[in-house]
Amino acid sequence: MSINPTKNLFALAIITALLLFRPAFGAQGEQKTVTGEVMDTWCYVSQIMGASDFIVGTTHHVCAVWCAAGGIPVGLLDKNDGTIYMILGVGDNTDSVANSALMDIQSHEITAEGTAYVLDGINYLMIDRITEDKGVTNETHKIVGILPGEANPK
Amino acid sequence: MKQMIKLAVVLGLLSFAHTSLAAKSWGITNEEKSVFKGVVVDVTCELTGDCPENCGAGSRQLGLKTEDQGVILVAKNLTLFTGAAEELHGFCGQEIQVDGLFTTHKNVRFFQVQKMRAVGGKWQKATRFHKAWAATYGGKPRKAKRWYRKDPRIKAIIERDGYLGLGPEKDAEYFGSQ
Repeated sequence: MSINPTKNLFALAIITALLLFRPAFGAQGEQKTVTGEVMDTWCYVSQIMGASDFIVGTTHHVCAVWCAAGGIPVGLLDKNDGTIYMILGVGDNTDSVANSALMDIQSHEITAEGTAYVLDGINYLMIDRITEDKGVTNETHKIVGILPGEANPK
Repeated sequence: MKQMIKLAVVLGLLSFAHTSLAAKSWGITNEEKSVFKGVVVDVTCELTGDCPENCGAGSRQLGLKTEDQGVILVAKNLTLFTGAAEELHGFCGQEIQVDGLFTTHKNVRFFQVQKMRAVGGKWQKATRFHKAWAATYGGKPRKAKRWYRKDPRIKAIIERDGYLGLGPEKDAEYFGSQ
């Protein structure tokens, strides 16, 4: 069997071209249904206003709306395993900053279908559709009041 | 000659201390001060290939693509209740240097940018949000520190859903009894 150097070079050129021109995006998405609370990721993760268990629900509702309008990533806190998904968009609206559809449902318990991604340790979710919206169900204000105090109209 | 070497070492150490510990502490969970370089990227573009111009010009969450830590999500800037997209989208596709804080809790580790600069350029505070908000909703940037009290989108949501998110009647019951 003889080796054809021209053919080998040609094959090498094709492989190199494929590697060079492969799409820049590389994360593999996975279809997923997630049920949980729409939430403010910064205050929850940083715990700058207190223990994260109370930086959700009615206690933190107004602050969560402020933060969503201000462009902080809005999350979906999976009620089954506590995973936080950074929401990248809803339906055709792929704004992930100050998305009006997400501002409207801050603190709501929802079930969402979409594509989940993991990129360098962070979970992301592009929501295709919201199949259930129970509204605000997590009445944390009965335990800890309103956080931060600035969000209390009194 | 020995003195020159000593001086160089001292200056080097001072310079290192200045750049690595410049961020102000916010007392947040698992806080890490950090200065690093990365290329500004649109996270959605990285994941899906949907890549609008200028990284979405402020409409997309942005990250910093680094050589050693992959894409770091930049969630926060220096102003109250605001994210980082407005601070970074002007650097879309460029390598920049940032100074700020990491915070880590449960399955999330992300970054608050306090200052940024094009590599070799001048440091800028991450407070551009006020200027952008004032340009959209009126007023002077220096009067926009409490933007969240004036924002018409927020006012409409609170008017409809109340401060608790349960409706105005529940608000009246709860806050009326305080």
